[in-house]
Amino acid sequence: MKKKTNLVAVEKISSGIEGFDDITGGGVPAGRTTLLMGGPGCGKTVLALQMLAGAAIHHGTPGIFVAFEENARRVSANGETFGWDMPELEKSHLFFIDACLRSDVVKSGAFDLTGLLAALEAKAHEMGARLIVFDAIDVLLSLLDDPAAECRELYRLNEWLTLRSLTGIITAKIEDGEPASARRYGFMPFMADCAVLLSQRIYDRIAVRAMRVLKYRNSSHILNEVPFVIGLSGVEVGSSNGVHPEPQPFDEKVSTGIERLDAMLCGGIYRGTNVLITGSSGGGKSTLAGAFLEAACRRGESSLFISFDENSRDIVRDLAAMSINLTPYTASGLLRMEALRTEAASSEEHFMRIKHLIAEHKPRCVAVDPLSALARVGGVLAARTIAERLIYLCRNVGITVLFTSLMEGVDPHLETTTLHISTISDSWIQISYALLDGERNRALSIIKSRGSKHSNQLRELIFSDTGISLADPYTAGGTVLMGTMRTEKENAVQTAASHKHLGPERDT
Amino acid sequence: MDDHLNGAYVFRVYLAGGAPNSVRALANLYALCHKHFPNSHRIEVIDVLKEPLRALAESILVTPTVIKVSPAPEQQIIGNLSEEEEVLRALGLPQRENG
Repeated sequence: MKKKTNLVAVEKISSGIEGFDDITGGGVPAGRTTLLMGGPGCGKTVLALQMLAGAAIHHGTPGIFVAFEENARRVSANGETFGWDMPELEKSHLFFIDACLRSDVVKSGAFDLTGLLAALEAKAHEMGARLIVFDAIDVLLSLLDDPAAECRELYRLNEWLTLRSLTGIITAKIEDGEPASARRYGFMPFMADCAVLLSQRIYDRIAVRAMRVLKYRNSSHILNEVPFVIGLSGVEVGSSNGVHPEPQPFDEKVSTGIERLDAMLCGGIYRGTNVLITGSSGGGKSTLAGAFLEAACRRGESSLFISFDENSRDIVRDLAAMSINLTPYTASGLLRMEALRTEAASSEEHFMRIKHLIAEHKPRCVAVDPLSALARVGGVLAARTIAERLIYLCRNVGITVLFTSLMEGVDPHLETTTLHISTISDSWIQISYALLDGERNRALSIIKSRGSKHSNQLRELIFSDTGISLADPYTAGGTVLMGTMRTEKENAVQTAASHKHLGPERDT
Repeated sequence: MDDHLNGAYVFRVYLAGGAPNSVRALANLYALCHKHFPNSHRIEVIDVLKEPLRALAESILVTPTVIKVSPAPEQQIIGNLSEEEEVLRALGLPQRENG
């Protein structure tokens, strides 16, 4: 059994879940009781099972799962869906006890857990179990129909675990802010050495899961509520702890895929940093994302294109119309394109999905188009944290990322994004529309580029079937000319054979 | 205790040594048997503290647990049997019977 010892010397057992170990400072207390509470369907059983299976898989620690509510076979089968080899584990390391009372059982008078504990003790001794899960013990105890007796039995259980130095994980249906269960089981967090509250709430029609460590005797822990998801491989806790924004000292520049834009950025963006591209709908953000990844692929770098609400085939087709050809790279597997449906999951689930994709594909360059889609599901506040964590995640492993973000109905003078990611982005490029003389032209400007020189001038962004180009600004009489007006002016100037340079580029 | 009689009541009782609820359950069961079927019952007592793995194999969760093995169908009753009416109903016996 792998045990971690921290400063206050509470022995802990790693849960095998990175984020959970983060918030508990290393896992659950060894030889003590941990309580997982929450309403129905909030993930208590899966979390408890994962800790038990994880201890068996990673540390060879034998454990027992006592299922009071769900059929034990079903719990075990559920574990298999997360990729844990339950039949193999049950041969040597795990034992399931079906503790669901038959529906025809009659109750007459008081009972206690003495018999069960004696049986468990014998079994634990036989297989050397160190970890025991009591899942939904409230189902059995509520039959006592006597709060004092329920309390007594839980204390009996707690004492039994403590005396034998067994690590207990008890789950119980206790909902936060529900007076009836608070009165009934209010003592439980006091009894346990570690209490974790799980919850499931609905934001914008999307279910969002969160957990919070209520108490941890003799140990520090993270007080904040952290989001979690139940993904393909079980519970994943989204703790931002342990993710430190340490920009790695890269002095290599990476091309944006557009020559003139690289020139404006004095050679491109630093490797391992991120660039944010903002603009309104149809501004060409996705095109810039495509150009960036095409350039990465041309350099032979593994790349990942994550798009929200647009299917990959359409993106490839639209980009091909601008001479950005991604097909050879998707075919060779160098570029992976993943189209996500915004509404299909909470922002936390999207984050976990992206995290997995990054771990799987190991890209050097990533584009997320648009990152602002996250704000539509599961609350803006959650989405902001996720955008940040995504940025830090990429920064930590030195991935160069291009994010796009939609700006809709935002006061252009404020120049902020819905997710407020502009403050933590390394470079920020804004695409806006310039309305001049009945023409709508795209204008590109670099708002910031950390640690690098960049042009401070507005350029005209031109998309054509031969590719993307940035036209020099044409300043005449203090006005920047674009589109037809620029062409006319250029022609006029040419006919006049005047080679006077009208728009000196001012690089700062 | 004559189990050769036709229609004999056979009970299996799972106890936890001398735990209060267990002691009370056994006393209640004896009293009930003497009252309702004085010559046609048999009680098998299993001490879970002595045979813990047997309890597990037979899916006994709480103590005391009383199982009426025969006549069929099998019926499981948990608790110290202090609520007599519940027990009588479970055994299919008339309730509030005198003598």
